[in-house]
Amino acid sequence: MHELLLFASVPLHQHHELRQQLAGLTAMQPRHRLERRLIFKAYRKPGVITTRVGASQDVQGVDLQRLNKMLNGGMYYTQVVGPVLHENFAAAGVTRGEGDDPDAAMSGIHESQKDSLSHSTYDYESQSWKLEFRDIPEAGTRSAVTARLMASAGLPKGDIVEPMNAWGYGFVTEYVVEGDIFILNDIVIFLHRVLRYPSESSDPHAPRGQLPSFEQMKPLDKSGSYVLQAAITVQDGGNQETMRTASQHLFGLREQLRSAVRLEQADRLSLDTRAK
Amino acid sequence: MSSDAPDDSSATTDSFTLPLRPLIEKRDRPDTLPVEIAQINAQWGSFRDVNEDELQVKIQEEKDKEGIEDEDEEEKPAGEVDSTERLEQLYKRRAEITQFALQAQMETMFALDFVSLLLSKHVPRQAETSMSAFLKQAVPLGSLNSEIVSPPLKPESAAQDPKVVSRGWRLQSFDAAANKLLKSASRLETEVASETRYWSEVLAVKDKGWKVSRLPRERQALGVQYGFLEATPIFRDRGLASLRRADDGSLILDKGLVPSKSRRIRVRVKINDRVTGCSKSTRSTADGEESIETRILQARDTVYEEELFHELVREARIMGGQGVTTRQNLIRFAVSEEQEIMLDLADTDLESFSEDTDVIDSHEDDVLADAIAHSTRILLSYAHRQNLHRRTQPPPPLSQKRRHTPEYQLLRPILAYLQHRSHVEWLESFIKDMYGVLKSAGVDSDYSANLFSSVNPQRKNHSLPKVEALVQGFLVPLESTISGSLITPKSPFRVRIRTSLVSPPFGTNYDISMTMPQHPGIQPPARVGLRSEAAAIITHFLMLDVVSAVSSYRPPPGVDGHLMWQAAYPHHGELLTVSPTSGEHKKKMKVTLTRGEMTLDVSYARAADGTSKHSQTWKADPTVPQQPGLMKFVADVSKE
Repeated sequence: MHELLLFASVPLHQHHELRQQLAGLTAMQPRHRLERRLIFKAYRKPGVITTRVGASQDVQGVDLQRLNKMLNGGMYYTQVVGPVLHENFAAAGVTRGEGDDPDAAMSGIHESQKDSLSHSTYDYESQSWKLEFRDIPEAGTRSAVTARLMASAGLPKGDIVEPMNAWGYGFVTEYVVEGDIFILNDIVIFLHRVLRYPSESSDPHAPRGQLPSFEQMKPLDKSGSYVLQAAITVQDGGNQETMRTASQHLFGLREQLRSAVRLEQADRLSLDTRAK
Repeated sequence: MSSDAPDDSSATTDSFTLPLRPLIEKRDRPDTLPVEIAQINAQWGSFRDVNEDELQVKIQEEKDKEGIEDEDEEEKPAGEVDSTERLEQLYKRRAEITQFALQAQMETMFALDFVSLLLSKHVPRQAETSMSAFLKQAVPLGSLNSEIVSPPLKPESAAQDPKVVSRGWRLQSFDAAANKLLKSASRLETEVASETRYWSEVLAVKDKGWKVSRLPRERQALGVQYGFLEATPIFRDRGLASLRRADDGSLILDKGLVPSKSRRIRVRVKINDRVTGCSKSTRSTADGEESIETRILQARDTVYEEELFHELVREARIMGGQGVTTRQNLIRFAVSEEQEIMLDLADTDLESFSEDTDVIDSHEDDVLADAIAHSTRILLSYAHRQNLHRRTQPPPPLSQKRRHTPEYQLLRPILAYLQHRSHVEWLESFIKDMYGVLKSAGVDSDYSANLFSSVNPQRKNHSLPKVEALVQGFLVPLESTISGSLITPKSPFRVRIRTSLVSPPFGTNYDISMTMPQHPGIQPPARVGLRSEAAAIITHFLMLDVVSAVSSYRPPPGVDGHLMWQAAYPHHGELLTVSPTSGEHKKKMKVTLTRGEMTLDVSYARAADGTSKHSQTWKADPTVPQQPGLMKFVADVSKE
């Protein structure tokens, strides 16, 4: 599958207004979305992995082969995405342990045990995950949209580090994305920003078992600005016709939003997912 | 000069009056009549000489003169000229033109000579160059002089005249300007009034909660959105009409090319070619002056009804296999053998007195027709909700395959419901009859019904809004269960009816389950489709049950000489006695069970003619006097 994208930066003061404009444009209420995103990095040398990776039951022929080649051939960062709810974050004011808790995994177990009576409803063991692979955007395309190869696959629930390790991926870091989704025909508009966990000193080798309070999450961009992402996924990236239709749809959206935001192509190298 | 203009200005500008017209002094003018009489006297002579003949002659003369002129004008184009004549004429004209030109030149030359001669007094050198040779010879240079003379003083009256004339002109132009200003003022006034009215009406519409916006194609016009966002695109786009302004400022709902007739779905129920029910119109159309609100509402209803019909036809087409037929403007399907439902799109004002010959014969099924009409509407709005739900989900990847929009479930749930209801009603009455027979035979057994279990409002689905959960109950296969006990203990029976028109197995199926301890190997066939078959199976099982009940008869202890019964051919309802001592068969019993009655015939097994010795019939009819019960009868015939 391919993904065609346009991006725009939305300053904080414009966020509310744009949210309303998008709601009007798409004639739907925004779907609020919170996602945990874990970054994994392939660490084995290319060629070592011989097993087929993920989602092999739905054979997609060429596409799958390409994906396999890509996953095994080069070294890539991939993202594991898990949807969470606002309620999953700890209640405001109640801080979880100390920031310098030496063993996050332990603390995770500890927390999940007293989950039922604790302030948070988050259960790491039942967290669902999705693997999202994104290639570096295609180079040298004349079209003014970012196009890249993508693939997604469901993953087992709960602790994801172990299976990922087995597939040759090591956990790097994690962050949270919060934002609203709008759907306009084929286009998925995601108005979001990246939130960082409050302290970076906790064990960076495993995802958190427990979430801090939402108020403690700090936006990556200090000004609190948002990113507007308009995306269309295309089943067959080799088909010029559909690719053109998809980019035309995106251009149409760009025109419609011209007076509000400027949607444009992203810098290719800033979306580089290759592990060097 | 118009006299009403000042009145206008005073009427329209109450607060601030600006005098735009010049003040005209009212001078007491001398009567002009004497002057005119003097003029006539001078021109035509004394009035005394005027008589009719003279005047007639004069009029005739005038006429003649005109006539002559006309003739002159007519003659020229009338004359057909041939080429030579034409040529001649052409030459003549050319000569005339040349002559005129020459004359003009000559006159100019004269003028030039004159001016030159005049100037030669002061600038002789220069003037000489422009003089003609003849003049130079004839007249000596500088012989003509000019000097300024002061004109003689004009008389007082002559000086007054232009003054008066200019004053008059000025007044007239002032007046014209004032008129123009006042006219535009009043035009603006009405414009402002109508504009105010227009906007206040637009605001009223907006305050009612309608979505008012700019039209996408016509940026300067306002439109009101009354349609349904989740409708099929053609109907969704029709849900927008522009709000135009009439000359007086009232609002006009301009729907473009769409006819403004209001239409609605009409449901009629027909039994044996007699129309026995028709759905009522939701709203009586107010004629004449309708408020903009009602017009918007009517437009909304019409677009909804038309979409509904469109979707109904779309669905009816795929239901051809289920006995639904479509015409251009009619959907018809049969519910039972005699009952038929017809749906069409009718004009609201024409109502049932349309050109159709179908006159409403009676109103007994109006409720049914209304229920169907309302159901289709509820189901369509449910489909709209589903569309919204689908639209706000992340879309599947773009591919070349076009996504097919599935037909909405509008007719199918209704048809399924009606079909299911008819089956359930039949089954209930059938079971009631059968149990009535058993009851009249003194058998203590009963049944209970759990109808439409899928539509049960008690079943709560918290993930869905209440309305959607309610409707969804009708979209899943309908199920009803009737369960009861039999005479033989521990042998419950259950009949489940399932109707589905959406997913296979299509249609209505009876699922009968019974357990008979005496006949463990016998199971009713699964999934029976026909009523008669289901009836036969149930009857057969009840008969088997009676047979086992009889065969389980044991004489009361201490009583001798009683025979016991043994099921010989249970499936034929035949039993034989078994003598406890000899073991021979003495008597034969035949159980016959039909809907409504049960008969037990007892005869001697050896009897050649098979005539029955004892016979007893029980009927479900409660008017039949109470008869001895089944067990009593069995006990009676069991005596040796």
